[in-house]
Amino acid sequence: MNEFVVALGWFGLYAPVALGAIGSAWGCALGGSAAIGAMLDSDGGYGRFIGVSLMPSSQVIYGIVIMFSLQQSSVDAANGAALFGIGVLSGFTMMITGIRQGEVLASAIHASKAKPEIFGISLAPAAVLEGFSVFALVFALVLAGSIPS
Amino acid sequence: MSRPHQYISLVTSFPHLGKLFTRKEVPISQFRLKQRLSMLEDEHARLLRELVEITAWAGVAKYDEDVEVIARAKQVMEDLRDYPDLQHLVGTRMETRTLIAALRRRHAGQETAGDIAAWGYGRWCGRIKSNWSDPAFGLGHFMSWIAEAHRLMRAGDHIALERLTLTEVFRQLDHYGALHEFDFEAVAIYVLRWVIVERWSRYGEEAARTRLQALVSAALRGNETPEPIAGGSDFLSDRTPSLEGAS
Repeated sequence: MNEFVVALGWFGLYAPVALGAIGSAWGCALGGSAAIGAMLDSDGGYGRFIGVSLMPSSQVIYGIVIMFSLQQSSVDAANGAALFGIGVLSGFTMMITGIRQGEVLASAIHASKAKPEIFGISLAPAAVLEGFSVFALVFALVLAGSIPS
Repeated sequence: MSRPHQYISLVTSFPHLGKLFTRKEVPISQFRLKQRLSMLEDEHARLLRELVEITAWAGVAKYDEDVEVIARAKQVMEDLRDYPDLQHLVGTRMETRTLIAALRRRHAGQETAGDIAAWGYGRWCGRIKSNWSDPAFGLGHFMSWIAEAHRLMRAGDHIALERLTLTEVFRQLDHYGALHEFDFEAVAIYVLRWVIVERWSRYGEEAARTRLQALVSAALRGNETPEPIAGGSDFLSDRTPSLEGAS
């Protein structure tokens, strides 16, 4: 049983990075595809399209930060379950917010191409999703401090 | 390219078409549009061709009989079985055409609907047949445009009639377009909108050409002033088969 909990602990330790990377990769691919399409139909402003399409890359960075905050001198039965719970749930949050952020960014790029004046405001939903990722990051850090070492 | 990303790139590469009748020319040429559509998979390109063929007037003009158009529409709808919204779109378009055809037949003096199955399609055939004398075929309570189309047809205002029918078709496209953003349906609906905008943009060109020909003819004949253009009366002329009407 202890070995199983230890395995879960290691799983939870790496989950924020792995799931965050999946979310970032997926989100950036969605946003990037929209940016590439928009560039075909624009005579300028390519930088801003590419720039916003990279917004979901923050999720993997948050995942790395969470992983370091969860890192213990040893993973054992005492802390394995906590590492698993915090790591997997925060990792899933990073993955989902990354993917969804990519989707709303694609919509924002598409809409702002037709109506350039809404470019700034169209990024608001993506910013809100970023906020949710930050919530998950901050409270993962808070809880990481109370894991028995 | 994987499918979701393919459609995101493709859809965002299309310029905004804007509202109907607000542009004098299409924001993307046919050549450029075809170039962009080369991103589509072969199967989707084939389905799109079929969809445009059955919904655009130029596509069905090659059929001599309305029955052939109806049979083709049913075949296209069968091919679009994986895309129910596009099936509904084709069905709704055929129903709109049926209503326009009924208005035109009645305007031409036909006293009953006759064998409506031979020239009509869709849910309203029975209603059209049983309410033949009603200006809106008994459908006016939820399709107010039919009574307006009847009025315009009687007044001979073909441009306004064309605007009305194109507006109705555009509204149908907007309805289904709101349900799709980055998928094959979104691409297909964009192309169908483009076909309408392009058709409307050509009307002006054709009218100008007709006017120029009239002026040249008048000049060759002498100083006779040509008749002013009465709103492009060929747009919905009776020379066209009865299913014509909505691009």
